[in-house]
Amino acid sequence: MSEPILELRGINKSFGPVHVLHDVDFTVRAGEVTALVGDNGAGKSTLVKCIAGIYPTDSGEVLFNGEQTHIHGPKEASNLGIEVVYQDLALCDNLDIVQNMFLGRERGRAGLLDESDMEQAARKTLTSLSVRTVKSVRTPVASLSGGQRQTVAIAKAVLWDSKVVLLDEPTAALGVAQTRQVLDLVRRLAEQGLGVVLISHNMNDVFEVADRIATLYLGRMAAELPTKDVTHSQVVELITAGRSGDLGIARPENAVV
Amino acid sequence: MTTTPTSGTRPDEIRRHNRTALLRRLHVDGPCTRAALATELGLNRSTIKALVDGLASAGVVAERVPAQRSGAGRPSLLVLPQPHAAVVLAIDVRVEQVSMAMVGIGGEILGRHSWNLHRKSREPGEVITHIADSSQLLADELSVDVVGVGVSVPGVVRRADGQVHEAPNLQWTDVPLGKRLAAVLRKPVQVGNDAELGALAEHVRGAARGAADMVYVSADVGVGGGVISGGSPLRGTGGYVGELGHMVIRHDGRQCYCGSQGCWETEVGEPALCRALALPEGSPRGAVVAELRSLAEEPGDPAGVEHRLGDFTYWLSLGLVNVVNMLGPELVVLGDLFASLPTEVVERASATVHQRSLVSRAVGGTRIVISTLGRDAKLIGAAELAFEPVLGTV
Repeated sequence: MSEPILELRGINKSFGPVHVLHDVDFTVRAGEVTALVGDNGAGKSTLVKCIAGIYPTDSGEVLFNGEQTHIHGPKEASNLGIEVVYQDLALCDNLDIVQNMFLGRERGRAGLLDESDMEQAARKTLTSLSVRTVKSVRTPVASLSGGQRQTVAIAKAVLWDSKVVLLDEPTAALGVAQTRQVLDLVRRLAEQGLGVVLISHNMNDVFEVADRIATLYLGRMAAELPTKDVTHSQVVELITAGRSGDLGIARPENAVV
Repeated sequence: MTTTPTSGTRPDEIRRHNRTALLRRLHVDGPCTRAALATELGLNRSTIKALVDGLASAGVVAERVPAQRSGAGRPSLLVLPQPHAAVVLAIDVRVEQVSMAMVGIGGEILGRHSWNLHRKSREPGEVITHIADSSQLLADELSVDVVGVGVSVPGVVRRADGQVHEAPNLQWTDVPLGKRLAAVLRKPVQVGNDAELGALAEHVRGAARGAADMVYVSADVGVGGGVISGGSPLRGTGGYVGELGHMVIRHDGRQCYCGSQGCWETEVGEPALCRALALPEGSPRGAVVAELRSLAEEPGDPAGVEHRLGDFTYWLSLGLVNVVNMLGPELVVLGDLFASLPTEVVERASATVHQRSLVSRAVGGTRIVISTLGRDAKLIGAAELAFEPVLGTV
């Protein structure tokens, strides 16, 4: 089997006296949806921001495609093919879909934008994801529904020939029906061969789309398991207590010193 | 796709027939001018006007002045189907997941949803409950009213009432899926074999448009085939045609769950492909696709493809030679997982068929092509299945 597309080993991160991530190991495989779950403050968003190059890590190594790399900033992460879709969407309301998708990376020469080229690329990406719910790519984002905005945000991540897409609670602000449409899109990303990381609090969502579930507990990786090998209640125990039966972090009294 | 011949036709029946034909033309081939409709259907201009006016007043179509003018004179109005006028629910039950979509007239997907299946959630009752919940949510979200339901199932299905006799990879036996879904959704439900619906989709909207004789072969966990012969589906007695995957191809082959040995599916199904790629069996689909893609992207290394997929290509080609000899299609469409195969593999299979198949030589080379609908083929086929009875009534 080929090596994981992205692998983190022994990542540590502190904010002053607060030790947020303790020796976290985390792998992302191409073509799989890896769900990253954990209680509030477990370090999920911090881990994602470390991968995206927003926070520097204190120690640990990052392997991309089997080669060791250092991600020093968001630009380097996106050059590697890592894209992040944030909780709060980060789209500009006053711009249309094409302008949003190319924001900061506009195509064109000598100060002139190649609008038709960008429009075509945007349309092609949306079609490749079988997104047919958006009528026109020139619709201003302000007039889109929450689900459509999330779709645009995800399509934006895919447009750049990315290898890994990190989704930080993409469905947190959505209704039930829209959530399902977004989850459908998440799965299709993975089926195209991308490595997808999904942060979510909703166990149903996780079990519906994820191939693997990674659980963080107070900044430690409690377990990383295939979805088909765990049950709902085991994952909840891992989230709340860090262990479930033989799974998870060993009890302090059993730990080998 | 067939119309029953009637003896002695009354004018209102003719009108209904023409209306259905016109609507089907718009549904399948998309927007079209009134003048083109008159030519294609061989009807008088005034007849077309009456039909289009009737459909427009019912809200099924809209008319617009075309943006591009051709020639002199008043331009003929463009007739556009209105997707929301008739919406069907298409459901594709697979071994690993269920996907569903609301599809409007003209084949536009209005909204969709899918979920993974695990041990327990694969039971028929669970699947039906989830479908009922999700369809209600989708219908509310889109504020549409569903007029029909089409379901694709990977197994042996009785067309008349949607009884699933056996879907081995799902571990379903004798499930009255059609009846149970019709009871909870309270809509007419049609159930079909997945490969047959894939063939229908490719025939109507995909790579096999305009081909009267085609075979669709697809690999998911199992391998299935659908046949269009003389422009209409070949179903066989009870509608059980399509188990191409259980064609015995290797006398010393692996044991198949169907009770036979050396079935084609054991050599070219998803587990076989996983073995060839040295992935663990039961890897997620995306992982297999990613591996195939990385294989295809390795610069200038056809030897790598040959080395790892040589045997796989051999068995794929051999099966295709048999299929072409038996069914004599104009083209063979490879769908689903096969659609992700590197081009070298398809080219080699194609070359073997041209060389070894008598029928292929006789017709000057049967084309072997990759599906253009990808993963959605069966979903689109299910939608077409649901539309068949609906088009005559809207």
